[in-house]
Amino acid sequence: MQYVIVGIGGQGILFASKVLGKIALERGESVIGSEVHGMAQRGGSVISHFKVGDYRSPLVMAGEADILLAFDQNEAVRNLHFLKKKGSLVVNVHDRAALENSALAGMIRDREISVHSLEGYALLKEHMGGNFLFLNVLLMGAMCGAGVSGLSLGEVSRAVKELSPPQFQDANMKVLALGAEAISGGR
Amino acid sequence: MTEVSRTVSTKAILLGNEAIARGIVEAGCLVASAYPGTPSSEILPAVAKFADELGSPMAVEWGVNEKVAFEVAAAASFTGARSCAVMKQVGLNVAADPFMSAAHFQLKGGMLLVVADDPGPHSSQTEQDSRYFAMFAKVPCFDPCSAAEAREMVFDAFDLSERFGIITMLRPSVRVDHCRQDVELGELRPPKGQVKFDKEPSRWVCLPASVKVNHPRLNAKVEEIRAAFETEFEKYNYEVPSKEKSVLGIVASGVCFSVVSDILKGWGREDVAVLKIGTPHPLPVKMVTDFISRQPKVLFLEETYPVMEMQLPDRTGILGRWNGIVPGAGELLPETVADILAKILGMDHPAGEGSPLLRQAMEELKITPRKPMLCPGCPHRASFFSIRQALPNAVNPSDIGCYTLGVNQKAVDAVMDMGASVTMGSGFFLVHKAAGMERPIVSTIGDSTFFHMGLPGLASAVYNRHAFVLAILDNSTTAMTGGQANPAVGEKLRKGDAGRKVDIEAVCRGCGVTFVRTIEAYDVGAGKEAVKEAWEHAKSRSEPAVIIFRHPCMLLRPQQSAVQVKVDPEKCIGCKFCINFFNCPGLVFDEKKSKAYIDERFCVSCGVCVSVCPHGAIGEISGEGE
Ligand code: SF4
Ligand code: SF4
Repeated sequence: MQYVIVGIGGQGILFASKVLGKIALERGESVIGSEVHGMAQRGGSVISHFKVGDYRSPLVMAGEADILLAFDQNEAVRNLHFLKKKGSLVVNVHDRAALENSALAGMIRDREISVHSLEGYALLKEHMGGNFLFLNVLLMGAMCGAGVSGLSLGEVSRAVKELSPPQFQDANMKVLALGAEAISGGR
Repeated sequence: MTEVSRTVSTKAILLGNEAIARGIVEAGCLVASAYPGTPSSEILPAVAKFADELGSPMAVEWGVNEKVAFEVAAAASFTGARSCAVMKQVGLNVAADPFMSAAHFQLKGGMLLVVADDPGPHSSQTEQDSRYFAMFAKVPCFDPCSAAEAREMVFDAFDLSERFGIITMLRPSVRVDHCRQDVELGELRPPKGQVKFDKEPSRWVCLPASVKVNHPRLNAKVEEIRAAFETEFEKYNYEVPSKEKSVLGIVASGVCFSVVSDILKGWGREDVAVLKIGTPHPLPVKMVTDFISRQPKVLFLEETYPVMEMQLPDRTGILGRWNGIVPGAGELLPETVADILAKILGMDHPAGEGSPLLRQAMEELKITPRKPMLCPGCPHRASFFSIRQALPNAVNPSDIGCYTLGVNQKAVDAVMDMGASVTMGSGFFLVHKAAGMERPIVSTIGDSTFFHMGLPGLASAVYNRHAFVLAILDNSTTAMTGGQANPAVGEKLRKGDAGRKVDIEAVCRGCGVTFVRTIEAYDVGAGKEAVKEAWEHAKSRSEPAVIIFRHPCMLLRPQQSAVQVKVDPEKCIGCKFCINFFNCPGLVFDEKKSKAYIDERFCVSCGVCVSVCPHGAIGEISGEGE
């Protein structure tokens, strides 16, 4: 399974690969991935690659990712070329109208990409008092809800719980369920 | 800052840098020193953490710069102990002086130099290849292809160092440093309890006369090590033969080996042979030429310079950088390698970026890569605004750190390397003075960088009477690399190891600076006044003046009062002044309405932007009355 995780520096993107790594380790699978640190983390475009299985290179090649997990809609579009044919996009959307761009819709149709989107900011505003730091866990929940990763919600929540600082555990569990529900409820 | 995943049996998911750190501690290193620099920064904190966990007695410290870190480690090895210095590629430029000397010594304890390279570059001002430095200094170099191999190499690098009395280099590239991989964990091999420095001036004093002995000895060592690399290191240097008759041979070093392996596997190409080289200097030439002789043609893949290629006695028929088959700059990403391979193998490889529809969509939606910006609430943003507004005509040299991003606010005009904001300030002053002209100069530098290499420049400026303003942007951390301590902070890495804070104000006064003023960075009004005054002072007395803008970095999550702000659309005239000169991610422009607004996804309610709008359109949301 090859994941590409994208977003903007400051959104807590590296947490997602830690969760994936933890689960793989428990399943006894090999993992390798690549993260970005330093300058690019300062509010710029951030991309993290993660591969579970028998791989040597930490990088996913364009056109080979099974899942594109996107914390930001623009970054999702910018990195869509990483997805393989019939791959899955799980994306936090802030401007639905832009997603309806005809060229984009055409590309998604041509490549038979399945799109699973949620309006993360609106959800966090409604349920978490606008604390946008929870976006990373919300998206992990969404990925479970979409059922594209082969990971169960139980597995993911155990990993998230163990990796979160004690004071955030309860909130994280709530957000995870929120994300899962938002996606399984429909497109 | 480093987090290490919990151990399950003997494996853990580690960052490449954590794997290297684990190796350093396990190998019984006694002294480790570093200066943080992406992509190397996580190594030393992880060394401290593992040393605590495994109960190693070792000393773990940040040096104020790489030269300091290197020399501390080198002296430790003179006593027979294992020692280690860690830095990034441009850090080795700073430590180049002791590094070149250390190569000539007949060392006693094993000394490992870890230098992290940044092809791409993701967070650096150069793409230089440290393996060249290994060649330059004539020392052996290990080039790991993964986190797990990097950890393994640490042990062999220490052993090799002790066996030949020579410093060894481990050169991970960014994809190894920042890869996350399952890595085997080992036990601590306790460091030697006893150290002993024997007075031996002929050995430890590098007089010119010693070079006559040292240099030929070094040359001999290189040949012996090369012979060892040819025969004893098959765990790092090995052939992955083709299953069918080979149509191409590839010699690959470092992470390029991993990349090309996955591509060949993905394509199911069984007619390509690969020679993996983990010790690119000194190159096991026999092994490589033997491989070449058995292949119809051979491609060299290595990052970033043609270090292996250059060591070949004969490059006839070799495909690589020297003949332009492999690009001369940039990272060898899987897409790049796939393109090169497809061309050589005559394959029709569907390029990943290829969708014209996607390109069209990106154009229509105006989607471009998002540039790095200072964090919302970053104190530097306020400081840059004050500086720029106080003296709009000034020349603004700056330095390496988060504050380089002040370029977005048009408040940074020139950046060269660490400490150069101070010395460029001197240069700009001198050239204007000599030409009989006057122009204000305000240099900016961070607290860590000031100690790293700003200090000698300041002493020189005082001594030579250079008139400029030096603004020290003190956010109480080394922010860009993830928040390491420095002398201005005073904290140390290992549990129970107490440091002492060095007072920046006192240091500046001690250097002879007569104008030293400290400002709360968020206070834009006071900042502007101070900059103007400082320049007047510097100009009238022909000497440098220092302002310290102080406020903690947002990564330290400081407790501060929340000031909720809004943009009044009635008052906003759409001039974009705030966007162009303040550049906060929380303050964005609505092109359709031609008004600025607060993007609550990013705003952290620091309240600084209230004082930014010249039309008074940005205001505080008061509790009542709204
Ligand atoms: S990390 Fe700290 S210094 Fe760097 S941009 Fe963010 S707040 Fe500013
Ligand atoms: S208050 Fe203003 S300056 Fe501070 S984060 Fe929000 S938008 Fe940026």
